[in-house]
Amino acid sequence: MLAVPTAAADLNLPVATRVVSFLQPTPEGVIPAAVIYEPGNAASEAEAASIEHAGTLVAGKGTLRLKRVPVGALGGLAGVRVAFVTSGLREAHAQIAAAASRQSILTITSDMSCVQAGHCAVAISSSPRVQITVSRSAAKAANVQFGSAFLMLVKEI
Amino acid sequence: MRPCVSSAGFSLAAILLATAGTAQSVDYAALQATMGEPVTTSVTGKPQRASETPASIEIITRDQIERSPAHDVPGLLKTYAGVDVNRWLAGQTDVAVRGGVQTYNPRLLVLVNGRQVYLDHYGMTDWNLLGVQLEEIQQIELVRGPATALFGFNAASAVINIITVSATQASSLVTAGEIGTHGYSRLSAVTTLPIGHNVGLRLSAGHQRENERGFPANQASPSDKSGVKRDEVDATLEASPGARTHLTINGGYSTNHQLELLPTQVPTRQDYEAMVGGVRADRDTDWGSVTGGVYANWLDVHFGAVHSGATNFDAEQLKNRIVVADASALVRLGLNNVLRIGAEYRNNRLEGEALFTPRVHYGVWSGSAMLDLHPTDKLALTFAGRLDHFSLGTGGAIRLPAANEVSDYDRKFTRPSFNAAALLQLGGAGQIRINGGLGYQIPSLIDFGVRIPIIPLVPIPGVPTILLTGAPDLRPVAVWSGEIGYTKSLSDATKLDVTVFYSKTKNAIGSPGEALTVTPSFIGGFALVTRFANAGDFRTAGVELSLNGIVGPHLSWRTNYSFTDTQEHLQPIDVLALAPGTTTARHKANIELGYRQDRWFATTVLRYTSATHQLGDSAAGQVMLFKVEPALAWDQKIGVQLGRATLTLTGENVTGASGAAGSPIPADRRILAGVKFGL
Repeated sequence: MLAVPTAAADLNLPVATRVVSFLQPTPEGVIPAAVIYEPGNAASEAEAASIEHAGTLVAGKGTLRLKRVPVGALGGLAGVRVAFVTSGLREAHAQIAAAASRQSILTITSDMSCVQAGHCAVAISSSPRVQITVSRSAAKAANVQFGSAFLMLVKEI
Repeated sequence: MRPCVSSAGFSLAAILLATAGTAQSVDYAALQATMGEPVTTSVTGKPQRASETPASIEIITRDQIERSPAHDVPGLLKTYAGVDVNRWLAGQTDVAVRGGVQTYNPRLLVLVNGRQVYLDHYGMTDWNLLGVQLEEIQQIELVRGPATALFGFNAASAVINIITVSATQASSLVTAGEIGTHGYSRLSAVTTLPIGHNVGLRLSAGHQRENERGFPANQASPSDKSGVKRDEVDATLEASPGARTHLTINGGYSTNHQLELLPTQVPTRQDYEAMVGGVRADRDTDWGSVTGGVYANWLDVHFGAVHSGATNFDAEQLKNRIVVADASALVRLGLNNVLRIGAEYRNNRLEGEALFTPRVHYGVWSGSAMLDLHPTDKLALTFAGRLDHFSLGTGGAIRLPAANEVSDYDRKFTRPSFNAAALLQLGGAGQIRINGGLGYQIPSLIDFGVRIPIIPLVPIPGVPTILLTGAPDLRPVAVWSGEIGYTKSLSDATKLDVTVFYSKTKNAIGSPGEALTVTPSFIGGFALVTRFANAGDFRTAGVELSLNGIVGPHLSWRTNYSFTDTQEHLQPIDVLALAPGTTTARHKANIELGYRQDRWFATTVLRYTSATHQLGDSAAGQVMLFKVEPALAWDQKIGVQLGRATLTLTGENVTGASGAAGSPIPADRRILAGVKFGL
């Protein structure tokens, strides 16, 4: 499976991490998380590396424990609660969504097309200001629920 | 003949209140960190980003509070457009929004976490009785314009909601102390303690003392000029007994002793003792959230002691108890629309010797709804309406001679209020905001039910008792308001906001002035009666211009200018003591510069206020207008962080401008040194 690199901006990781804290029920303790990337895709690999090297990611009362999961081996998502979907994986979005649905994984990306297609649950853009977009269908498919205060501050599609 | 009492000051306004319509549990700190800007529920009842509210709003953040030269909440508010902060005396401050400031200022609803701290007995806010330490404030929200449709009676000109930090945050302890000239000292301590799983406790306590300012020779000066002394403790328990349920229990106790200028400007000594207690529960659902709660405020005040010149009056004790119960639901409609429905009941009771009967009380039943619609990405429409049904009553035997029959107090009325707004996003990071509304101030329990015999300074044989009384037939004060605002980001770091506003206040309430107008009464004996009354109308119109930005990594700046034109159609001040046309400054401007690098920070504030005339009590005991000179005041704060301690040096009104306080009592220059220690 080949993906076309896109010009999507890197994920705003501090915001993405905080989004996790608004899940219902609120996750606590160690939160298994994945970075879905495509080996050989320079943009995807660079974003994955950037996420990995961000240091300790605290989400409310929980802490994310990251691992890389190649887009060609989504079985590695077993046990994961949160997945950061790097940019440049457009052709794999449907498969990622299917895996997320099966395993109740919150998917977060900077690639708006993934959310617009209903494949990712959350998209984050940062310019000119932070804008969070939530796909109701993708969130529902993955059995992901957010607090109502958070949902009233984001754009739902 | 002049009333020899503070009773003459039992004038003006007041209100009752409504409770906050804030629904559901909102983690303000977490949401601000996520969205990159403060979040509020004080405009529509639903959580909104500050930049997306359909009203003119300021949110003062925790970081701004820490760096500000201000040492209290009014001091933090005074540098924002459209806000009048008048420090009449060392402890007495009034805040008004868009004109009409007066002592015991009504129509501005002040809340702490949605619970009113506004005092209903007289319809005013004692800013030294908030029960909140600066170190526990998460943010201060100022919403300009009527918000009665959300908060009920008294949110007629603006709302200020003070939000404290969450009790469920990590374990912490912050202690602070300040000492300064004029006998100023302040101590505070705030701690948050996790207790078990999903339970947190926040405890806070504070103490403040300050000497009174000097009275000029041409104004009445009380013999007891002892200063301000306030103490307060507060406890809040927050718990999440279920994954989607949040419970908050709060209680507090505060005292404050200070000199105050009554609405007739007679300087009097007030001793306040207040207790609060309440519980609130929030529940998230798949379709929105529901919230409900009940709280009670108790106020025991020894009111109006005057020992000044020929005036000699002992304090009257008044006891005010208010109970508020409310419930509301936020319902998400479709993807991005929200409906809010709410119901509320409040019961307000005043007891004391200086009343028509031992007890005067009222109840208010309310129903409200708000609809927030987003027909397109570029347009948001908000409609809010509320219906308040008011019923007045008395308890106990009528005090004779009286000015009214008991049946006069069997009064009921219903008032609708509304807000409507449109927010249109323009290209180029600009937006236009249009809103309008109608809000109400209702007469205070004092306005309705006070009864005080006035003793002439020189007894006149044959002259019957003169009674200063309330009036059960007072009409509620209606405030109509409209504004058009334009906001634009001029760059990533610079933002412009321009607002044009118009506001009309109808049936403003005034206390009897110098020339007592009396009418005879034969109820239980013969007496001459002078009353609180609806004094007439006034309107304000103006422009607020705000600009703020960041320069490089270390420097931030903020500036604003307000023009306010006030026209009044009121009775003369010697008939009813109210003069918003002369007490409101036409021009105000503020500049704030903030600098932060490594361990150091500095904040410079320059404030300009044009000349006004404020009501005052002359040395001869005559209520009159005194000129307050135009003022250019300079406030400065410098701080350095040393480990867990922060040391600060603050100068207030460094320029020594006499008019900087907006009071007929000249302002003074103050220097404060402080230390804050956090764990």
